[in-house]
Amino acid sequence: MTGQAVSFAGLSLKNPVLTASGTFGYGREAAELYDLGLLGGVMVKGVSREPWPGNAPLRVARAPGGMLNAIGLQNPGLEHFLSTDLPFLRRYDTAVVVNVVGHDLQGFVDVVRGVTGQAGVGAVELNISCPNVADGLLFSQDPASARKLVAAARQATDLPLVVKMSPNVTDPVALGLACKEGGADALSAINTLLGMAIDLRRRAPVLGNRTGGLSGPAVKPVGLRIVFDLAAQVGLPVIGMGGIETGSDALEYIMAGASAVAVGTAVFRDPLAPPRIVRELVDELEQHGFESAAQAWAAANPAAKEAAS
Amino acid sequence: MRQWELLVGEVLAPARGYVELRLEATQALEAEPGQFFMLRAGNLPDTYLPRAFSWYRQDAPRRLSFLFRVEGPGTRELARLRTGDLLQAMGPLGRGFPLPQQPIRAAILGGGVGVPPLWGLAKALLQGGSDVLALIGARAKAHIVGAKEIAALGARVLVATDDGSEGYRGPLTDLLPEEGIDAIYACGPEGMLRRVQQISLADGPPAYLALEAPMACGYGVCMGCVVERAEPPSDQGEYGRWARVCREGPVFAAQEVRL
Repeated sequence: MTGQAVSFAGLSLKNPVLTASGTFGYGREAAELYDLGLLGGVMVKGVSREPWPGNAPLRVARAPGGMLNAIGLQNPGLEHFLSTDLPFLRRYDTAVVVNVVGHDLQGFVDVVRGVTGQAGVGAVELNISCPNVADGLLFSQDPASARKLVAAARQATDLPLVVKMSPNVTDPVALGLACKEGGADALSAINTLLGMAIDLRRRAPVLGNRTGGLSGPAVKPVGLRIVFDLAAQVGLPVIGMGGIETGSDALEYIMAGASAVAVGTAVFRDPLAPPRIVRELVDELEQHGFESAAQAWAAANPAAKEAAS
Repeated sequence: MRQWELLVGEVLAPARGYVELRLEATQALEAEPGQFFMLRAGNLPDTYLPRAFSWYRQDAPRRLSFLFRVEGPGTRELARLRTGDLLQAMGPLGRGFPLPQQPIRAAILGGGVGVPPLWGLAKALLQGGSDVLALIGARAKAHIVGAKEIAALGARVLVATDDGSEGYRGPLTDLLPEEGIDAIYACGPEGMLRRVQQISLADGPPAYLALEAPMACGYGVCMGCVVERAEPPSDQGEYGRWARVCREGPVFAAQEVRL
Protein backbone atom coordinates (compact mmCIF):
# COMPACT_ATOMS: atom_id res chain seq x y z
CA MET A 1 0.00 0.00 0.00
CA THR A 2 3.03 2.26 -0.29
CA GLY A 3 1.44 3.85 -3.32
CA GLN A 4 -1.15 5.46 -1.09
CA ALA A 5 1.20 7.65 0.90
CA VAL A 6 1.31 11.35 0.12
CA SER A 7 3.66 14.02 1.34
CA PHE A 8 3.29 17.78 0.97
CA ALA A 9 3.82 20.97 2.94
CA GLY A 10 5.79 19.10 5.60
CA LEU A 11 2.89 16.74 6.22
CA SER A 12 3.25 13.01 5.58
CA LEU A 13 0.05 11.01 5.29
CA LYS A 14 -0.25 7.24 4.93
CA ASN A 15 -3.06 7.84 2.47
CA PRO A 16 -4.66 10.99 1.04
CA VAL A 17 -8.00 10.72 2.91
CA LEU A 18 -8.61 12.78 6.05
CA THR A 19 -11.77 13.61 7.96
CA ALA A 20 -12.91 17.22 7.77
CA SER A 21 -13.02 19.47 10.79
CA GLY A 22 -16.36 19.83 12.55
CA THR A 23 -17.84 16.57 11.35
CA PHE A 24 -15.78 14.16 13.39
CA GLY A 25 -15.44 15.64 16.87
CA TYR A 26 -12.06 14.51 18.22
CA GLY A 27 -12.37 10.99 16.85
CA ARG A 28 -13.85 9.31 19.90
CA GLU A 29 -17.19 8.31 18.37
CA ALA A 30 -15.72 7.00 15.10
CA ALA A 31 -13.06 5.08 17.04
CA GLU A 32 -15.88 2.96 18.46
CA LEU A 33 -16.60 1.86 14.88
CA TYR A 34 -13.19 1.41 13.22
CA ASP A 35 -9.47 1.87 13.70
CA LEU A 36 -8.63 5.53 13.11
CA GLY A 37 -5.26 4.26 11.86
CA LEU A 38 -7.03 3.45 8.58
CA LEU A 39 -7.22 7.19 7.90
CA GLY A 40 -4.63 9.44 6.35
CA GLY A 41 -5.45 11.97 9.03
CA VAL A 42 -8.00 13.56 11.31
CA MET A 43 -8.73 17.27 11.09
CA VAL A 44 -10.21 17.82 14.52
CA LYS A 45 -13.15 20.01 15.43
CA GLY A 46 -12.18 23.66 15.88
CA VAL A 47 -10.26 24.38 19.07
CA SER A 48 -10.49 27.79 20.75
CA ARG A 49 -8.44 29.20 23.61
CA GLU A 50 -11.37 29.02 26.04
CA PRO A 51 -14.34 26.62 25.84
CA TRP A 52 -17.04 27.88 23.46
CA PRO A 53 -20.73 27.03 23.95
CA GLY A 54 -21.79 27.19 20.31
CA ASN A 55 -25.14 28.48 19.06
CA ALA A 56 -28.62 28.02 20.46
CA PRO A 57 -30.71 25.28 18.79
CA LEU A 58 -31.95 24.54 16.20
CA ARG A 59 -28.53 23.80 14.79
CA VAL A 60 -29.16 21.58 11.76
CA ALA A 61 -31.63 21.69 8.88
CA ARG A 62 -32.42 19.69 5.81
CA ALA A 63 -31.28 20.91 2.39
CA PRO A 64 -31.47 19.36 -1.05
CA GLY A 65 -28.39 17.23 -1.60
CA GLY A 66 -26.98 17.98 1.81
CA MET A 67 -27.71 19.93 4.95
CA LEU A 68 -27.33 23.24 6.76
CA ASN A 69 -25.56 23.53 10.07
CA ALA A 70 -25.12 26.35 12.53
CA ILE A 71 -23.31 24.62 15.37
CA GLY A 72 -21.20 27.68 16.10
CA LEU A 73 -17.89 25.95 16.92
CA GLN A 74 -18.96 24.49 20.25
CA ASN A 75 -15.74 23.07 21.67
CA PRO A 76 -14.17 22.31 25.05
CA GLY A 77 -11.18 24.63 24.56
CA LEU A 78 -7.41 24.28 24.29
CA GLU A 79 -6.74 22.96 27.79
CA HIS A 80 -9.24 20.12 27.41
CA PHE A 81 -7.95 19.36 23.93
CA LEU A 82 -4.38 19.02 25.20
CA SER A 83 -5.22 17.08 28.35
CA THR A 84 -7.86 14.72 26.96
CA ASP A 85 -8.49 14.76 23.21
CA LEU A 86 -4.95 14.86 21.85
CA PRO A 87 -3.74 12.00 24.11
CA PHE A 88 -6.70 9.96 22.87
CA LEU A 89 -5.82 10.63 19.22
CA ARG A 90 -2.14 9.88 19.84
CA ARG A 91 -3.12 6.25 20.38
CA TYR A 92 -3.81 5.93 16.66
CA ASP A 93 -1.38 5.86 13.80
CA THR A 94 -2.88 8.76 11.90
CA ALA A 95 -1.93 12.39 11.33
CA VAL A 96 -3.68 14.95 13.54
CA VAL A 97 -4.42 18.35 12.05
CA VAL A 98 -5.59 20.81 14.69
CA ASN A 99 -8.27 23.18 13.43
CA VAL A 100 -7.82 26.48 15.26
CA VAL A 101 -10.50 29.13 15.85
CA GLY A 102 -10.46 32.47 17.63
CA HIS A 103 -12.46 35.63 18.11
CA ASP A 104 -9.42 37.74 17.29
CA LEU A 105 -5.82 37.46 16.15
CA GLN A 106 -4.49 36.84 19.64
CA GLY A 107 -7.08 34.09 20.19
CA PHE A 108 -5.80 32.25 17.12
CA VAL A 109 -2.15 32.78 17.98
CA ASP A 110 -2.54 31.52 21.54
CA VAL A 111 -4.01 28.22 20.36
CA VAL A 112 -1.40 27.83 17.61
CA ARG A 113 1.34 28.39 20.18
CA GLY A 114 -0.43 26.07 22.62
CA VAL A 115 -0.44 23.07 20.28
CA THR A 116 3.06 23.68 18.95
CA GLY A 117 5.60 21.27 20.37
CA GLN A 118 2.89 18.87 21.54
CA ALA A 119 3.57 15.29 20.51
CA GLY A 120 1.16 13.97 17.92
CA VAL A 121 0.21 17.25 16.24
CA GLY A 122 0.95 16.97 12.52
CA ALA A 123 -0.25 20.38 11.37
CA VAL A 124 -2.36 23.38 12.24
CA GLU A 125 -5.38 24.44 10.18
CA LEU A 126 -6.43 28.06 10.68
CA ASN A 127 -10.20 28.23 10.41
CA ILE A 128 -10.79 31.70 9.01
CA SER A 129 -13.93 30.62 7.21
CA CYS A 130 -16.63 29.52 9.67
CA PRO A 131 -19.86 31.24 8.64
CA ASN A 132 -21.66 30.39 11.89
CA VAL A 133 -20.04 32.68 14.42
CA ALA A 134 -20.23 36.47 14.40
CA ASP A 135 -16.54 37.00 13.70
CA GLY A 136 -15.99 33.73 11.84
CA LEU A 137 -15.35 35.34 8.49
CA LEU A 138 -13.50 38.35 9.91
CA PHE A 139 -10.17 37.21 8.48
CA SER A 140 -11.64 36.14 5.15
CA GLN A 141 -13.19 39.50 4.38
CA ASP A 142 -10.09 41.07 3.02
CA PRO A 143 -6.77 39.53 1.99
CA ALA A 144 -4.76 42.00 4.09
CA SER A 145 -6.22 40.83 7.39
CA ALA A 146 -5.83 37.20 6.35
CA ARG A 147 -2.17 37.81 5.58
CA LYS A 148 -1.66 39.49 8.95
CA LEU A 149 -3.26 36.59 10.83
CA VAL A 150 -1.31 33.94 8.93
CA ALA A 151 1.93 35.85 9.48
CA ALA A 152 1.25 36.02 13.22
CA ALA A 153 0.49 32.29 13.33
CA ARG A 154 3.63 31.64 11.28
CA GLN A 155 5.68 33.44 13.96
CA ALA A 156 4.08 31.23 16.62
CA THR A 157 4.75 27.81 15.13
CA ASP A 158 7.06 25.66 13.08
CA LEU A 159 4.25 23.17 12.38
CA PRO A 160 2.90 22.91 8.83
CA LEU A 161 0.38 25.74 8.56
CA VAL A 162 -2.81 25.13 6.60
CA VAL A 163 -5.46 27.83 6.08
CA LYS A 164 -9.08 26.86 5.49
CA MET A 165 -10.62 28.85 2.68
CA SER A 166 -14.11 30.26 2.51
CA PRO A 167 -16.29 29.88 -0.58
CA ASN A 168 -18.20 32.96 0.64
CA VAL A 169 -15.79 35.43 -0.92
CA THR A 170 -15.58 37.09 -4.30
CA ASP A 171 -12.02 36.00 -5.06
CA PRO A 172 -10.71 32.88 -3.29
CA VAL A 173 -7.45 33.10 -5.25
CA ALA A 174 -6.67 36.57 -3.91
CA LEU A 175 -7.31 35.28 -0.40
CA GLY A 176 -5.15 32.22 -1.05
CA LEU A 177 -2.29 34.38 -2.36
CA ALA A 178 -2.50 36.56 0.74
CA CYS A 179 -2.26 33.46 2.94
CA LYS A 180 0.77 32.32 0.97
CA GLU A 181 2.41 35.70 1.49
CA GLY A 182 1.68 35.39 5.19
CA GLY A 183 3.59 32.13 5.30
CA ALA A 184 0.97 29.40 4.85
CA ASP A 185 2.29 25.99 3.77
CA ALA A 186 -1.00 24.72 2.35
CA LEU A 187 -4.64 25.63 1.86
CA SER A 188 -7.77 23.63 2.58
CA ALA A 189 -10.98 24.23 0.68
CA ILE A 190 -13.83 24.56 1.00
CA ASN A 191 -15.64 25.48 4.20
CA THR A 192 -19.45 25.57 4.03
CA LEU A 193 -21.51 27.94 1.88
CA LEU A 194 -23.63 30.45 3.73
CA GLY A 195 -27.31 29.55 3.40
CA MET A 196 -30.74 29.57 5.00
CA ALA A 197 -33.91 27.49 5.39
CA ILE A 198 -37.35 28.87 6.28
CA ASP A 199 -39.93 27.21 8.53
CA LEU A 200 -43.29 27.94 6.88
CA ARG A 201 -45.30 27.32 10.07
CA ARG A 202 -43.18 29.62 12.21
CA ARG A 203 -42.68 32.05 9.30
CA ALA A 204 -39.05 32.33 10.33
CA PRO A 205 -35.64 30.83 9.62
CA VAL A 206 -35.34 27.22 10.78
CA LEU A 207 -31.93 27.64 12.36
CA GLY A 208 -31.45 29.34 15.73
CA ASN A 209 -28.60 31.32 14.19
CA ARG A 210 -30.87 32.21 11.20
CA THR A 211 -28.14 31.38 8.66
CA GLY A 212 -26.07 28.23 8.43
CA GLY A 213 -23.43 26.52 6.36
CA LEU A 214 -24.47 24.37 3.42
CA SER A 215 -22.53 21.14 2.94
CA GLY A 216 -22.92 17.75 1.31
CA PRO A 217 -22.96 16.58 -2.31
CA ALA A 218 -24.71 19.80 -3.37
CA VAL A 219 -21.53 21.82 -2.83
CA LYS A 220 -19.09 19.51 -4.65
CA PRO A 221 -19.04 21.51 -7.90
CA VAL A 222 -18.25 24.68 -5.94
CA GLY A 223 -15.47 22.91 -4.04
CA LEU A 224 -13.94 21.51 -7.21
CA ARG A 225 -13.95 24.90 -8.90
CA ILE A 226 -12.27 26.62 -5.96
CA VAL A 227 -9.71 23.84 -5.44
CA PHE A 228 -8.88 23.95 -9.16
CA ASP A 229 -8.34 27.72 -9.09
CA LEU A 230 -6.32 27.66 -5.86
CA ALA A 231 -4.09 24.80 -7.02
CA ALA A 232 -3.45 26.40 -10.39
CA GLN A 233 -3.04 30.01 -9.33
CA VAL A 234 -1.72 30.12 -5.76
CA GLY A 235 1.03 27.55 -5.93
CA LEU A 236 0.41 25.93 -2.54
CA PRO A 237 -0.71 22.35 -1.93
CA VAL A 238 -4.46 22.10 -1.36
CA ILE A 239 -6.48 19.72 0.80
CA GLY A 240 -9.77 19.41 -1.10
CA MET A 241 -13.16 18.91 0.50
CA GLY A 242 -16.83 19.55 -0.13
CA GLY A 243 -19.36 16.82 -0.90
CA ILE A 244 -16.98 13.87 -1.08
CA GLU A 245 -19.04 10.68 -0.78
CA THR A 246 -17.05 8.14 -2.80
CA GLY A 247 -13.58 7.27 -4.03
CA SER A 248 -14.59 8.69 -7.38
CA ASP A 249 -15.41 12.06 -5.77
CA ALA A 250 -12.02 11.97 -4.04
CA LEU A 251 -10.25 11.34 -7.35
CA GLU A 252 -12.14 14.24 -8.92
CA TYR A 253 -10.70 16.51 -6.25
CA ILE A 254 -7.22 15.11 -6.78
CA MET A 255 -7.54 15.74 -10.50
CA ALA A 256 -8.75 19.25 -9.74
CA GLY A 257 -5.44 19.77 -7.98
CA ALA A 258 -5.90 18.54 -4.41
CA SER A 259 -2.89 16.85 -2.80
CA ALA A 260 -5.20 15.19 -0.28
CA VAL A 261 -8.92 15.19 0.44
CA ALA A 262 -11.16 15.38 3.49
CA VAL A 263 -14.50 13.67 4.08
CA GLY A 264 -17.02 15.75 6.00
CA THR A 265 -20.80 15.63 5.91
CA ALA A 266 -20.77 12.12 4.40
CA VAL A 267 -19.96 10.72 7.86
CA PHE A 268 -23.35 11.86 9.14
CA ARG A 269 -25.09 9.68 6.59
CA ASP A 270 -22.55 6.88 6.70
CA PRO A 271 -20.20 6.77 9.71
CA LEU A 272 -17.97 4.30 7.86
CA ALA A 273 -17.55 6.59 4.83
CA PRO A 274 -13.90 7.61 5.51
CA PRO A 275 -12.34 4.11 5.54
CA ARG A 276 -14.66 3.12 2.67
CA ILE A 277 -13.42 6.08 0.61
CA VAL A 278 -9.80 5.11 1.40
CA ARG A 279 -10.51 1.69 -0.17
CA GLU A 280 -12.56 3.05 -3.04
CA LEU A 281 -9.86 5.56 -3.95
CA VAL A 282 -7.31 2.74 -4.34
CA ASP A 283 -9.67 0.96 -6.76
CA GLU A 284 -10.53 4.16 -8.56
CA LEU A 285 -6.87 5.06 -9.11
CA GLU A 286 -6.17 1.60 -10.43
CA GLN A 287 -9.12 1.74 -12.81
CA HIS A 288 -7.79 4.96 -14.26
CA GLY A 289 -4.32 3.56 -14.66
CA PHE A 290 -2.56 5.30 -11.78
CA GLU A 291 -0.23 3.68 -9.28
CA SER A 292 -0.67 6.40 -6.71
CA ALA A 293 -2.67 9.48 -5.82
CA ALA A 294 0.47 11.54 -6.37
CA GLN A 295 0.69 10.23 -9.93
CA ALA A 296 -2.95 11.12 -10.65
CA TRP A 297 -2.35 14.56 -9.18
CA ALA A 298 0.72 15.09 -11.34
CA ALA A 299 -1.07 13.88 -14.47
CA ALA A 300 -4.03 16.19 -14.11
CA ASN A 301 -3.01 19.15 -12.03
CA PRO A 302 -2.50 22.29 -14.09
CA ALA A 303 0.09 23.64 -11.65
CA ALA A 304 2.13 20.44 -11.88
CA LYS A 305 1.89 20.47 -15.66
CA GLU A 306 3.05 24.06 -15.76
CA ALA A 307 5.98 23.32 -13.48
CA ALA A 308 6.98 20.40 -15.68
CA SER A 309 6.89 22.34 -18.94
CA MET B 1 -24.42 0.14 17.25
CA ARG B 2 -24.03 -1.15 13.71
CA GLN B 3 -25.42 -0.68 10.22
CA TRP B 4 -28.28 -2.82 9.05
CA GLU B 5 -29.99 -3.50 5.78
CA LEU B 6 -33.58 -4.24 6.68
CA LEU B 7 -36.22 -5.86 4.54
CA VAL B 8 -39.66 -4.30 4.59
CA GLY B 9 -42.26 -6.85 5.63
CA GLU B 10 -45.74 -5.55 6.30
CA VAL B 11 -46.62 -1.88 5.88
CA LEU B 12 -49.53 -0.95 8.14
CA ALA B 13 -51.62 2.20 8.47
CA PRO B 14 -52.77 2.02 12.09
CA ALA B 15 -54.26 5.54 12.32
CA ARG B 16 -54.88 8.62 10.21
CA GLY B 17 -51.53 9.92 8.95
CA TYR B 18 -49.49 7.14 10.56
CA VAL B 19 -47.49 4.30 9.01
CA GLU B 20 -45.99 1.30 10.76
CA LEU B 21 -43.13 -0.37 8.92
CA ARG B 22 -42.48 -3.92 10.03
CA LEU B 23 -38.88 -4.74 9.17
CA GLU B 24 -36.80 -7.89 9.09
CA ALA B 25 -33.06 -8.24 9.69
CA THR B 26 -30.78 -11.15 8.91
CA GLN B 27 -29.67 -11.26 12.54
CA ALA B 28 -31.22 -10.61 15.92
CA LEU B 29 -31.73 -6.93 16.72
CA GLU B 30 -31.34 -6.01 20.35
CA ALA B 31 -32.39 -2.56 21.44
CA GLU B 32 -33.42 -1.05 24.77
CA PRO B 33 -36.73 0.74 25.15
CA GLY B 34 -36.21 4.39 24.22
CA GLN B 35 -33.18 3.79 22.01
CA PHE B 36 -33.42 4.85 18.39
CA PHE B 37 -32.20 4.07 14.89
CA MET B 38 -31.25 6.34 12.01
CA LEU B 39 -33.27 5.27 8.97
CA ARG B 40 -32.92 6.15 5.33
CA ALA B 41 -34.78 4.76 2.41
CA GLY B 42 -33.20 6.05 -0.73
CA ASN B 43 -31.33 8.79 -2.43
CA LEU B 44 -33.89 11.51 -3.04
CA PRO B 45 -32.17 14.90 -2.81
CA ASP B 46 -34.35 16.24 0.00
CA THR B 47 -33.64 13.29 2.21
CA TYR B 48 -29.88 13.25 2.20
CA LEU B 49 -29.67 12.91 5.96
CA PRO B 50 -31.05 9.84 7.69
CA ARG B 51 -33.92 10.36 10.16
CA ALA B 52 -34.01 9.30 13.80
CA PHE B 53 -36.84 7.04 14.99
CA SER B 54 -37.36 5.18 18.25
CA TRP B 55 -38.22 1.57 17.60
CA TYR B 56 -41.81 0.58 18.24
CA ARG B 57 -42.61 -3.14 18.39
CA GLN B 58 -40.64 -6.37 18.33
CA ASP B 59 -42.39 -9.72 18.06
CA ALA B 60 -39.34 -11.80 17.09
CA PRO B 61 -35.58 -11.23 17.57
CA ARG B 62 -35.01 -10.47 13.90
CA ARG B 63 -38.08 -8.27 13.51
CA LEU B 64 -38.53 -4.67 14.54
CA SER B 65 -41.15 -2.14 13.63
CA PHE B 66 -41.17 1.64 13.39
CA LEU B 67 -44.25 3.83 13.69
CA PHE B 68 -44.27 7.40 12.44
CA ARG B 69 -46.52 10.21 11.28
CA VAL B 70 -46.13 11.16 7.63
CA GLU B 71 -45.36 14.87 7.66
CA GLY B 72 -42.27 15.80 5.64
CA PRO B 73 -40.11 14.64 2.73
CA GLY B 74 -38.25 12.08 4.86
CA THR B 75 -41.33 10.40 6.31
CA ARG B 76 -43.14 10.61 2.95
CA GLU B 77 -40.29 8.69 1.38
CA LEU B 78 -40.37 6.06 4.13
CA ALA B 79 -44.14 5.79 3.74
CA ARG B 80 -43.72 4.90 0.07
CA LEU B 81 -41.81 1.71 0.93
CA ARG B 82 -43.53 -1.54 0.05
CA THR B 83 -43.11 -5.15 1.12
CA GLY B 84 -39.81 -6.46 -0.22
CA ASP B 85 -38.06 -3.06 -0.34
CA LEU B 86 -34.80 -2.47 1.53
CA LEU B 87 -34.08 0.16 4.11
CA GLN B 88 -30.75 1.32 5.59
CA ALA B 89 -30.65 1.56 9.36
CA MET B 90 -28.01 2.40 11.94
CA GLY B 91 -28.43 1.61 15.59
CA PRO B 92 -29.44 1.05 18.27
CA LEU B 93 -28.34 4.51 19.39
CA GLY B 94 -28.52 6.61 22.52
CA ARG B 95 -29.46 6.01 26.13
CA GLY B 96 -32.87 4.43 26.65
CA PHE B 97 -35.30 4.51 29.58
CA PRO B 98 -33.71 3.41 32.87
CA LEU B 99 -35.61 0.39 34.17
CA PRO B 100 -36.30 -0.10 37.88
CA GLN B 101 -34.46 -2.79 39.85
CA GLN B 102 -37.64 -3.68 41.73
CA PRO B 103 -41.28 -3.81 40.58
CA ILE B 104 -42.81 -0.33 40.74
CA ARG B 105 -46.04 1.45 39.90
CA ALA B 106 -45.16 3.24 36.65
CA ALA B 107 -47.07 5.81 34.63
CA ILE B 108 -46.00 6.00 31.00
CA LEU B 109 -47.20 8.92 28.87
CA GLY B 110 -47.10 9.16 25.11
CA GLY B 111 -48.52 11.92 22.95
CA GLY B 112 -48.88 11.50 19.18
CA VAL B 113 -45.52 10.69 17.58
CA GLY B 114 -44.19 10.12 21.11
CA VAL B 115 -46.11 6.88 21.57
CA PRO B 116 -43.76 4.39 19.79
CA PRO B 117 -41.05 3.96 22.47
CA LEU B 118 -43.75 3.19 25.07
CA TRP B 119 -44.53 -0.24 23.66
CA GLY B 120 -41.08 -1.63 24.43
CA LEU B 121 -41.03 0.25 27.73
CA ALA B 122 -44.40 -1.16 28.81
CA LYS B 123 -43.26 -4.65 27.87
CA ALA B 124 -40.00 -4.37 29.83
CA LEU B 125 -41.72 -2.87 32.88
CA LEU B 126 -44.42 -5.54 32.89
CA GLN B 127 -41.84 -8.29 32.49
CA GLY B 128 -40.06 -6.89 35.55
CA GLY B 129 -43.26 -7.21 37.54
CA SER B 130 -44.18 -3.52 37.53
CA ASP B 131 -47.70 -2.18 37.37
CA VAL B 132 -48.07 -0.03 34.24
CA LEU B 133 -50.57 2.74 33.67
CA ALA B 134 -50.26 3.94 30.04
CA LEU B 135 -51.67 7.35 29.15
CA ILE B 136 -52.01 7.79 25.41
CA GLY B 137 -52.74 11.17 23.84
CA ALA B 138 -53.82 12.16 20.34
CA ARG B 139 -55.39 15.06 18.49
CA ALA B 140 -58.56 13.07 17.88
CA LYS B 141 -59.91 9.53 17.87
CA ALA B 142 -58.74 8.84 14.30
CA HIS B 143 -55.13 9.66 15.25
CA ILE B 144 -54.75 7.36 18.26
CA VAL B 145 -51.84 4.95 17.95
CA GLY B 146 -50.49 2.27 20.26
CA ALA B 147 -53.37 2.17 22.78
CA LYS B 148 -54.67 -1.26 21.76
CA GLU B 149 -51.18 -2.68 21.30
CA ILE B 150 -49.97 -1.50 24.71
CA ALA B 151 -53.18 -2.70 26.38
CA ALA B 152 -52.59 -6.11 24.78
CA LEU B 153 -49.30 -6.35 26.69
CA GLY B 154 -51.22 -6.11 29.96
CA ALA B 155 -50.95 -2.40 30.77
CA ARG B 156 -53.89 -0.34 31.97
CA VAL B 157 -54.52 2.24 29.23
CA LEU B 158 -56.30 5.60 29.40
CA VAL B 159 -56.73 7.84 26.40
CA ALA B 160 -57.00 11.61 26.07
CA THR B 161 -57.76 13.57 22.92
CA ASP B 162 -57.57 17.30 22.22
CA ASP B 163 -61.15 17.35 20.93
CA GLY B 164 -62.69 14.79 23.25
CA SER B 165 -63.64 12.44 20.41
CA GLU B 166 -62.23 9.60 22.50
CA GLY B 167 -61.53 9.34 26.22
CA TYR B 168 -60.68 12.39 28.28
CA ARG B 169 -60.76 15.81 26.64
CA GLY B 170 -57.68 17.78 27.62
CA PRO B 171 -54.02 17.43 28.48
CA LEU B 172 -52.74 13.91 29.09
CA THR B 173 -51.11 14.95 32.34
CA ASP B 174 -54.59 15.57 33.84
CA LEU B 175 -54.97 11.78 33.89
CA LEU B 176 -51.92 11.25 36.12
CA PRO B 177 -53.04 9.96 39.52
CA GLU B 178 -52.00 12.27 42.36
CA GLU B 179 -50.76 9.35 44.39
CA GLY B 180 -49.59 5.81 43.95
CA ILE B 181 -47.09 6.39 41.13
CA ASP B 182 -43.40 5.62 41.73
CA ALA B 183 -42.00 6.86 38.39
CA ILE B 184 -43.19 8.65 35.27
CA TYR B 185 -41.86 7.99 31.77
CA ALA B 186 -42.89 10.34 28.97
CA CYS B 187 -42.39 10.96 25.28
CA GLY B 188 -44.26 13.46 23.16
CA PRO B 189 -44.82 17.16 22.49
CA GLU B 190 -42.64 19.63 24.37
CA GLY B 191 -45.63 21.11 26.23
CA MET B 192 -46.50 17.72 27.67
CA LEU B 193 -42.89 17.00 28.61
CA ARG B 194 -42.68 20.37 30.39
CA ARG B 195 -45.80 19.60 32.44
CA VAL B 196 -44.42 16.18 33.40
CA GLN B 197 -41.14 17.84 34.35
CA GLN B 198 -42.97 20.42 36.52
CA ILE B 199 -44.97 17.71 38.27
CA SER B 200 -41.84 15.67 38.95
CA LEU B 201 -39.75 18.59 40.18
CA ALA B 202 -42.58 19.83 42.43
CA ASP B 203 -42.13 16.90 44.82
CA GLY B 204 -43.64 14.44 42.38
CA PRO B 205 -42.22 11.04 41.46
CA PRO B 206 -38.99 10.86 39.44
CA ALA B 207 -39.63 11.32 35.73
CA TYR B 208 -37.74 10.31 32.60
CA LEU B 209 -38.30 12.26 29.42
CA ALA B 210 -37.53 10.97 25.92
CA LEU B 211 -36.61 14.01 23.82
CA GLU B 212 -36.66 14.60 20.09
CA ALA B 213 -34.40 17.01 18.20
CA PRO B 214 -33.37 17.51 14.60
CA MET B 215 -30.08 15.67 14.21
CA ALA B 216 -27.67 15.03 11.38
CA CYS B 217 -25.60 12.05 12.53
CA GLY B 218 -27.30 10.33 15.49
CA TYR B 219 -24.01 9.13 17.00
CA GLY B 220 -22.52 12.21 18.60
CA VAL B 221 -20.25 13.89 16.08
CA CYS B 222 -22.32 16.68 14.53
CA MET B 223 -23.33 18.46 17.78
CA GLY B 224 -26.60 19.39 16.07
CA CYS B 225 -29.17 17.94 18.48
CA VAL B 226 -28.24 19.64 21.71
CA VAL B 227 -30.51 20.42 24.67
CA GLU B 228 -29.67 22.75 27.55
CA ARG B 229 -28.44 21.05 30.73
CA ALA B 230 -30.09 22.16 33.97
CA GLU B 231 -26.77 21.99 35.82
CA PRO B 232 -23.73 22.19 33.54
CA PRO B 233 -20.71 20.31 34.89
CA SER B 234 -18.43 22.73 36.70
CA ASP B 235 -15.27 21.65 34.89
CA GLN B 236 -16.33 22.26 31.28
CA GLY B 237 -16.97 25.98 31.21
CA GLU B 238 -19.30 27.30 28.55
CA TYR B 239 -18.88 24.09 26.58
CA GLY B 240 -20.82 22.13 29.17
CA ARG B 241 -24.04 24.09 28.67
CA TRP B 242 -25.38 21.51 26.25
CA ALA B 243 -26.02 17.78 26.18
CA ARG B 244 -26.44 15.82 22.96
CA VAL B 245 -29.89 14.28 22.61
CA CYS B 246 -28.40 11.47 20.51
CA ARG B 247 -25.67 10.49 22.93
CA GLU B 248 -26.42 11.68 26.47
CA GLY B 249 -30.13 11.15 25.64
CA PRO B 250 -32.59 10.75 24.10
CA VAL B 251 -33.93 9.88 27.58
CA PHE B 252 -33.08 12.37 30.31
CA ALA B 253 -34.12 12.49 33.96
CA ALA B 254 -36.47 15.44 34.51
CA GLN B 255 -33.92 17.33 36.62
CA GLU B 256 -31.15 17.01 34.00
CA VAL B 257 -32.49 19.32 31.28
CA ARG B 258 -34.00 22.75 30.74
CA LEU B 259 -36.90 22.48 28.32
